[in-house]
Amino acid sequence: MSDNRSQLVGVAVQGSVVSPQLPALPASPYIIGADGKAVLLPAPGGIVYNVSIGDSAYGWLADMVQPGVSIAAAGGANNALRGLACVGNEAIVVSGRALGKRGAVTGKSGRFAEHVILHFDREVLEMIALGDKILVRAIGRGLALSDAADVHLKSMSPRLLDALEVGASESAGVTVPVAAEVPGSLMGAGAGLTSEAGCVQIQTDDRAALATHGVEGLRLGDVVAIRDFDCRWGNGYLKDAVTIGVVVHGDSVRGGHGPGVTPVMTAVGGRIQPQLVAERNIGELLGLKTATGVTA
Amino acid sequence: MLRTNASQLVELAVHGRVWPVAGDHYDYRTTSGGRGATHIGMAGICFTHRVGDAAFGWEADHLEPGVSIRHPDDGDEHALHYLACMGNDAIVTSGACSGATGVVTGEHAHVLVDFPPEAIEMLAVGDEIQIRSLGTGLQLLDHPDVITHKLSPRLLDALDASTTDDMKLQVGVVAEIPSYLMGSGAELSPDYVDQDFMTGDREEIARLGLDRLRLGDIVAVRDEDHGWGRGFYSGAVTIGLIIHGDSAWTGHGPGVLDLLSSRDGGIVPVRSPDANIALTLGLRVPSELERDDQTNHVSSYAMSSDLGGS
Repeated sequence: MSDNRSQLVGVAVQGSVVSPQLPALPASPYIIGADGKAVLLPAPGGIVYNVSIGDSAYGWLADMVQPGVSIAAAGGANNALRGLACVGNEAIVVSGRALGKRGAVTGKSGRFAEHVILHFDREVLEMIALGDKILVRAIGRGLALSDAADVHLKSMSPRLLDALEVGASESAGVTVPVAAEVPGSLMGAGAGLTSEAGCVQIQTDDRAALATHGVEGLRLGDVVAIRDFDCRWGNGYLKDAVTIGVVVHGDSVRGGHGPGVTPVMTAVGGRIQPQLVAERNIGELLGLKTATGVTA
Repeated sequence: MLRTNASQLVELAVHGRVWPVAGDHYDYRTTSGGRGATHIGMAGICFTHRVGDAAFGWEADHLEPGVSIRHPDDGDEHALHYLACMGNDAIVTSGACSGATGVVTGEHAHVLVDFPPEAIEMLAVGDEIQIRSLGTGLQLLDHPDVITHKLSPRLLDALDASTTDDMKLQVGVVAEIPSYLMGSGAELSPDYVDQDFMTGDREEIARLGLDRLRLGDIVAVRDEDHGWGRGFYSGAVTIGLIIHGDSAWTGHGPGVLDLLSSRDGGIVPVRSPDANIALTLGLRVPSELERDDQTNHVSSYAMSSDLGGS
């Protein structure tokens, strides 16, 4: 399908590798699970060595683990970083021991974390330090399909669009191969928040519901469809709206939380037709060196 | 009468100030149809709307009825937010109507206090308001599976609630909201603030009759456990209070403030059309709440979202 990529403007946005954050003393360091139990687990952010795009989204002893490297900027610059970085954009280390090494944007985390999540090859990961500066060559804002203007692209780089193999459809506007379909009824935290700069989470407290809907095997980086969910100008329930997104962070014990999905495409009125396939992960689609060989 | 531990609760003063409408509330916000719109409705003193009025149809977003208060110091503000319970007494402690009394009817970006019209006429932005907070720690002794949030003993007594023969908690509600409509606030604590139900699908809201809800209505949310977070859990039931008005933002709508939640099906909602705290707490008389069937249940502001098409 043709698009308007020749008109896009690429700009640099930049952040620093952030440390995971815990509350200052004397506050309790615990998070409270949906069952009321207090637990201390690694918080989102930082450099995660042993969880990568391609690994399971479930089972890790961490709260919303963000694979690879998470970056943020101070103040309004973080809004630009989160708002303009698109999934699949190139990231370049511009300070520290990994100077000049290149990675890719794989997602964005939601409220209270508000990071851009990056993938780097394992040998680069070993060289990166907290505080290192990383530049993102942001391109993708404004991207639109020439023959399906009612299909909204969100945080979508031209590189990811090419990889997704979006097809034209006479009955629907476009077809998109996906690894899973998630019902809108399972979407929790992130509803009512922006669809441009974060993610919306698949609620996992009711494990039986995950099995019922066939989403208990999700992997980080999976391309998924969310049924009856509108992400055109914010995230919310709408019958026959479909959103395509990427699984960007891991599960959580918190009520209303779970794996995060950063929207990359959304349309109302059944204009996106997901096609369920066995595997669909941006690790393979973008050619990232992912396998850690670890499963949760 | 439900057996509780109310005699063991501690009553504490917390405080705030009548909070001004903030300039940034006048920035354009984007409706669910992608239109820019200015919006009013939050903070300050609302002269036109009280608890008991319709939750839909006003030319406002997140309409906060009555008086909105908060405190400029973080510690005081958090104490106000966490400890003020629905149905607590409020008293004005400065200004032209010092000594006037009101009742806590909601908690959103601000704690919402209902005052009678004569006090509303005299109140000024910045006036100090003190709350006699009572309710944190409240337990229902015959319903150990039921968790309370921000529920004063006074409001509990005013609920149409009883213990059934099979030891479940039966609660009268105006309407039931399905879990798939629960939206903004899923990421927040049920002890802090409300959660909106989503009204972007206007057909669905009309089909369920939810567009006829009023501020102050008691509602049930099906399949939502709001014990220590907010999320889908099959069979769970949460009882809440409608505290603010509709919204045209995606994922937003009237706010549901959690009062009671059972993860294990220990709450049985039953229909009770007059379960509105404006009536049950004696804040207003029934004639003031008579429904007008001609009421337009969607404001032009919210409708602008539906005109956006793609």
